[in-house]
Amino acid sequence: MNMIIGLIIATVVSWLNFVIVDTYLGLPESPGVKGAENVGYSIKKRGGDLSGGFFQGNILCSPDASAGTLLASIGVYILGVQGGLIAALLVFIGNRLCADNGYAGVVGSLTMTAIVFAFSFVGISPEMFICGMVIAIFTIQGIYHPASTKLLGRIAKAFGRYTDYE
Amino acid sequence: MISMVTNGFQLLLNYIVSIIVCIVVALALKLPLVPEKPVRNSWTNSAIYPTPIFAMGILAIFFSFNIYWIYDGLALAVIIGILSALFVKYFFYYIFPNPAENDSIDGGDES
Repeated sequence: MNMIIGLIIATVVSWLNFVIVDTYLGLPESPGVKGAENVGYSIKKRGGDLSGGFFQGNILCSPDASAGTLLASIGVYILGVQGGLIAALLVFIGNRLCADNGYAGVVGSLTMTAIVFAFSFVGISPEMFICGMVIAIFTIQGIYHPASTKLLGRIAKAFGRYTDYE
Repeated sequence: MISMVTNGFQLLLNYIVSIIVCIVVALALKLPLVPEKPVRNSWTNSAIYPTPIFAMGILAIFFSFNIYWIYDGLALAVIIGILSALFVKYFFYYIFPNPAENDSIDGGDES
């Protein structure tokens, strides 16, 4: 497959994987640690959405599905499907050491391992997913927080995971 | 003993056996089958989480080093399944912090 097309597909799939898993497992609902709370209120002060801010704070403060997606892609690139399973274990350990119960990270790693394995049959290689995930995280964390958090807040509302904090 | 397993079906079978063994042993050790609801906020160790994560991850580490031992990895799968359940039941909180013991989940930096 053409590398650019593969990269675009990998970016979209990675973005959907980590945003859906993280949102469904409650990242926008509440900050897991004090740092995530500070990030959420800081982004709200700059015109962003509080729920999306908690999402950003949580993925910043512990390895959730975003890190799981990236590490699973790297694991599959290095060791095949078994690398994805090792990535899930490492993400779980990282989560527990960061005061996070680890559901989002582990589920994200396992779903991404299955996705990367499935897409390898249509010519999208694991390295495209590694690059795609970096781009996907960049669109959330690296460009313009108020806009990205508003989008994340809207997705959280659609999933019934909007925060009760004010 | 190190041997090469090239059969994907055998590998899959090993993982399935390991998962089933760890869940059965965890249930026998009186761990709950699933965490209490809402699951996403639960810190309870159960038979389906995180026991199989340890079993699969550790088994994958062994297989990645081409260590399969006897019966093409099946014996290793059973042993790791049993050890994972024992670890989660008895030794988990020696290694990982237990936030349920703290007054808040705001992390350990607060005084």
